Amino acid sequence: MNIAESILLALDAVRAHKLRSILTLLSIAIGIFAIIGSGTAVTSLNNTISGQLNELGENNFYITKAPMIQTHDSWRKYRKRKPITYYQAKELQKKMTITDVVSMYNVTGGFTMKSGNYSTDPDVTLIGANEHYLVTANTNIEEGNPFTTEDVTMNRFIAIIGNDVAVKLFPGTNPIGQSIRIKNQQFTVTGLIKPKGSMMGQSQDNIVIIPIGSFMRYYADEWEQSVNIIVRPPAKDALSPSMDEAIGILRGIRNVKPWEENSFELQTNESLTQQFSAFTKYLDLFGLISGGIALLAAGVGIMNIMLVSVKERTREIGLRKAVGAKSNWILLQFVIEAITLCQLGGIIGIVLGFVGGWALSNSIGITASVPLLWVGVSVGSCTLLGIIFGGYPAWKAANLDPIDALRYE
Amino acid sequence: MNTPIINIEHIARVYDMGGEKVHALRDVSLNIYPNEYIAIMGPSGSGKSTLMNILGCLDTPSSGIYNFKGLDVKQMDDNDLAEIRNREIGFVFQTFNLLPRATALKNVELPLVYSGISRSTRREMAITTLTEVGLGDRMLHKPNELSGGQRQRVAVARALVTKPSIILADEPTGNLDTKTGIEIMHLFQELWKRGNTIILVTHEEDIARHAHRIVRIRDGEVESDTTNSNPVYA
Repeated sequence: MNIAESILLALDAVRAHKLRSILTLLSIAIGIFAIIGSGTAVTSLNNTISGQLNELGENNFYITKAPMIQTHDSWRKYRKRKPITYYQAKELQKKMTITDVVSMYNVTGGFTMKSGNYSTDPDVTLIGANEHYLVTANTNIEEGNPFTTEDVTMNRFIAIIGNDVAVKLFPGTNPIGQSIRIKNQQFTVTGLIKPKGSMMGQSQDNIVIIPIGSFMRYYADEWEQSVNIIVRPPAKDALSPSMDEAIGILRGIRNVKPWEENSFELQTNESLTQQFSAFTKYLDLFGLISGGIALLAAGVGIMNIMLVSVKERTREIGLRKAVGAKSNWILLQFVIEAITLCQLGGIIGIVLGFVGGWALSNSIGITASVPLLWVGVSVGSCTLLGIIFGGYPAWKAANLDPIDALRYE
Repeated sequence: MNTPIINIEHIARVYDMGGEKVHALRDVSLNIYPNEYIAIMGPSGSGKSTLMNILGCLDTPSSGIYNFKGLDVKQMDDNDLAEIRNREIGFVFQTFNLLPRATALKNVELPLVYSGISRSTRREMAITTLTEVGLGDRMLHKPNELSGGQRQRVAVARALVTKPSIILADEPTGNLDTKTGIEIMHLFQELWKRGNTIILVTHEEDIARHAHRIVRIRDGEVESDTTNSNPVYA
């Protein structure tokens, strides 16, 4: 008597009672579906985020007033911090010795761009940036030129525009050298961004970039006027010293007392990915809890179907014992049958869950990843489910008296 | 005389039915020797079934001595009993007790599964045995595709396949018509001629007359134990 034989026997029992087996399988499949579905979505999200951060530059670090990902209760703490001003950012750039690449930018949304009789929807993202921004944002120029240091320091009224804006304002003509109006200010278009496509359902080409000085003066929102800084150290081993240097300089510029903690946040790709995972783990937890509840209900179903099965096969059990099956073998056979039933449901759930997670990932425009960990968890929990809820019926079967069982009608 | 396969001395079997003691067997002594063809007879309630269960190691006596090939059955636990049933005893039941969803071949293989015999050997042994009982051309049929007589032949093959010391048949013709019953009795006779030891449990005189020795049980005791000097040949 080996395991393979028991599994074949179990599959035969499933075939013998297709409908009721399928109904039970379905309840397991639903539980596993919830776990794998959310697992796929979360893994895909996490992989996309870390992939994109790395695309922007593996060694970059980010300086902001408050952490980019915040939990509900920490919000009050960061609200009181003073914004990082354009002046402070410029001072930092000036004083950094390890690297020159200090990118600064600020973003506001909901702008209407106009040119002649043409006008965009009021949904254009306006970015104020310095000369390093395009590099650290992994943005390339298709036509025209990026900002020079001079463009930024002189606060020139020039703009680099995304493809969506170009299509709307300058249909069929070359936008370079033409002018656009943002609110009441005229800007000359000097660059066109190479299209990036959309990310999480949102176009990344519906943007206009202007020198940060003008942005801060004319368009910065009163509440959002803190400048974001991206520093790109020349190499990986320069990351830590660059961060130390930046902290020292910024503390000086922002008059942070020695005993006070930093009035700004430094984040690396690694720490950002971690924070994001901490956020997405709630989604995982949700999947796990709802899946767990469904599995528990499914377990009761498993126990029910197994009890019925033991009852129906009482004579068979009696016969098996009469021809020499030991109690432990009967026990094992029924436990394996329960596990097989659970695993069949599990496989369906894993496939459905992955398809669901994949569809979800696809619909928000990220690449789906197989959550191997959750597949393992599913297989494990199906086995456990079979053992726990198949155990009692199997125990009952194993302890049947062969004489009574043989005589059972 | 040679040593008995089964040696029973003064066994009793008492059931406790809710405080009331029921004496199913009171005092039975019996020796069964190799290649005997013996019928155990008795009306219902005589203790015949209890005796059969004990002989078949499905149950153990409350008192007395039961030696199976010199082994003390009373001292055995459930696993030992399962093992001795597997190796030494072949059961044939009135209602056949075949697995309905398995082929004749699979049904005959069943006891070998629990003996830990390899798949290919198992198959070979089952094929040989099925051919012996005349079902060489029905091996891949399921029980519902076989006649009553054929089903009982499968059951006999299942009992034979482990080459047991005794074949214990409980009313083997009870569910068969007379003609088929005679066929099965013929089969038992053939098996006996080939050297098997057969214990037939029945309440039918016509069936018991095939055996060479008839033990009658009444009220939990042996009423008579006689040699049948003129057995019927089926």
